[in-house]
Amino acid sequence: MSKRIIQIDLNRVEGDLDFQLELEGGKVVDARCIGSMYRGFEQILISRKPKDSLVITPRICGICGTAQLNAAVLALEHLGGIPVPPAAMRIRNLCLMAETVQSDLRQSFLFFTADFCHPKYEPRSFYQKARAAFLPFKGSVHRGALEHSRHIVEIIALFGGQWPHSSYMLPGGVTTPASSRHIIDSLSILNKMTRWFEQDIIGTDLDSWLALQSADEFFTWLTAKDTHTNSAIGLFTLMSRDIGLHHLGFGTPHMLSYGAYDDPADAGTFPPQRKHLFRAGFLNGDTGNVEPFEQAEITEHVRYSWFQPYTGGRHPFQGQTIPDYQPHSDRYTWCKAPRYQDKVVQTGPLADALIDSEPLIRSLYQAEGGNAWLRQFSRLRRTARLLHKMREILHELAAHPNDPHMISPDTLEIPDGEGFGLVTAARGALGHWLQVTDGVISRYQVVTPTAWNASPKDSAGRHGHWESSLIGLTVDDPDDPVEIGHIIRSHDPCLVCTVHVLDTGKRITLWP
Amino acid sequence: MALSQMRHIICFGNELHGDDGFGTRVYAQLHRLSWPKNIEVFNAGVAGLNALRFLENCSQAILVDALVNFGNVGEICVLRPEDLADRPEQLTGHGLGLPYLLEALKVVRDPLPDILIVGVEIAAVSPFSSVLSDKTEQAVPKTVQLIRGLLSE
Repeated sequence: MSKRIIQIDLNRVEGDLDFQLELEGGKVVDARCIGSMYRGFEQILISRKPKDSLVITPRICGICGTAQLNAAVLALEHLGGIPVPPAAMRIRNLCLMAETVQSDLRQSFLFFTADFCHPKYEPRSFYQKARAAFLPFKGSVHRGALEHSRHIVEIIALFGGQWPHSSYMLPGGVTTPASSRHIIDSLSILNKMTRWFEQDIIGTDLDSWLALQSADEFFTWLTAKDTHTNSAIGLFTLMSRDIGLHHLGFGTPHMLSYGAYDDPADAGTFPPQRKHLFRAGFLNGDTGNVEPFEQAEITEHVRYSWFQPYTGGRHPFQGQTIPDYQPHSDRYTWCKAPRYQDKVVQTGPLADALIDSEPLIRSLYQAEGGNAWLRQFSRLRRTARLLHKMREILHELAAHPNDPHMISPDTLEIPDGEGFGLVTAARGALGHWLQVTDGVISRYQVVTPTAWNASPKDSAGRHGHWESSLIGLTVDDPDDPVEIGHIIRSHDPCLVCTVHVLDTGKRITLWP
Repeated sequence: MALSQMRHIICFGNELHGDDGFGTRVYAQLHRLSWPKNIEVFNAGVAGLNALRFLENCSQAILVDALVNFGNVGEICVLRPEDLADRPEQLTGHGLGLPYLLEALKVVRDPLPDILIVGVEIAAVSPFSSVLSDKTEQAVPKTVQLIRGLLSE
């Protein structure tokens, strides 16, 4: 049986990712997810003052800098026992939601749906509709996503002065209160986005869409009206299922969510007791039960990573990040391999929705499992939930105009000790673990959503989630493996994929 | 300053990837120079679509980036957006790359600013290296001179 290796580079704003796949007779028999860029943020933070993390960590990512900032400030507040007023939580939540909405819309309609316009699908009945809606720069939905997605983060700029890389969250709150001008301007931005989302993406009003509670209700809705069928989510669903994406790309059955958005009604408590608007938990894929989440169960392995070796897995508070590039060994990535309860897990909008018991997503999951279509569908379902929630938050801020946006900490210095900050970024569970000794940072460990999902093999040789979602896949044309593109993009790795065929040196592009 | 008078110089590149940092190195030199009020210099780094902001509120924009397969190594090229139209993968690609950015600009801005692309054919994109190759390094001051000349026209 012929054997070949293909390598897929995933060029991302926030770091470089490659896939190296081994094919036998067109079937993927091994996969290696390669983080090809070492960042070194954890080392940069060592010996700095603790609050430097508020300026440095938002630079980790050009897409989810708000999430990094939120995790950093939560770690400082956890360490210092610093309370936060409800208004500050609302502003933080609002901004984090805006960032997630932008990321989800761009992921969906700039990257994922463009693959439906691949020439391979020309014989399919959906092809002309796909081009009319999703063709890059020409399709109506692609153009709409380009225009509307760029404005939603202006809400962050209103409160944070800039986006990306803002530093407006401080221990005890945020730098700016929600003035009536901020609220009105934010509502204006949100209204425009919501109108476009209702008209072009879901083909109905937000409340009706969110009222769909089960797989049966959704599939009945899908064909009930032309506006539903021809909405972006209708087209995306019908095209995905026509090519069988609901049968592909499952990966690990274990799912993790840190919970999303601190609950302002629970402002009197501290993490990890503080409640979230969307629940935290661990979906045990063996039992199907959602178990309480406990951050102490997290470890990171480096057996297949380019870091100085240690045995087994270590909790981030015992974590070690010492680069040790060994290109000619069996180590293959700059990503560590995080595990939860020693299990390979996935994180992201599908995990978040299932753990939060979102009825429609749970129903679809029970019917067909956690496939590539449902993973992408969950992302768009989340957009609707967040647009709804953002409006609620703005109304809550308007209803409490004089609430404090900051509770000044008793002391300006962060004491020695340790703390962690856990948030839900656009791509899933993001955590910062911080230790302060003699007034400076002695250890800082960041475990990103992509570290969870793009993890390499661990000490036991178990593949990470993305890797396992590709193993077993049959590719029609190894020179143009569009199936791989669908699955990889459903995981939200971000930008364009190019394919290098190593055995010939020939370079081809995974369309577009 | 009226929109019609503003001219932006926008430099792209990843300074941690060898010659891919060409644009960023040019920015560092441009930034040290004195410019009239109607000229602004931006370091877009690897901003991807976020760089659209730098293309607002200006009537002319000069984009600086590394090039692949446009000439001999070290050769400086001045291109128009239409020169990239059929070569979507030819630039080194920071995030989504300049061709994508320019296509996106057509969707979100009308009328378009007048755009020139100034780049150098690079030798190699070298991960984990902050050093430019000799010929690319030599092209940096020449590119700065070229841009000054373009803006004095």
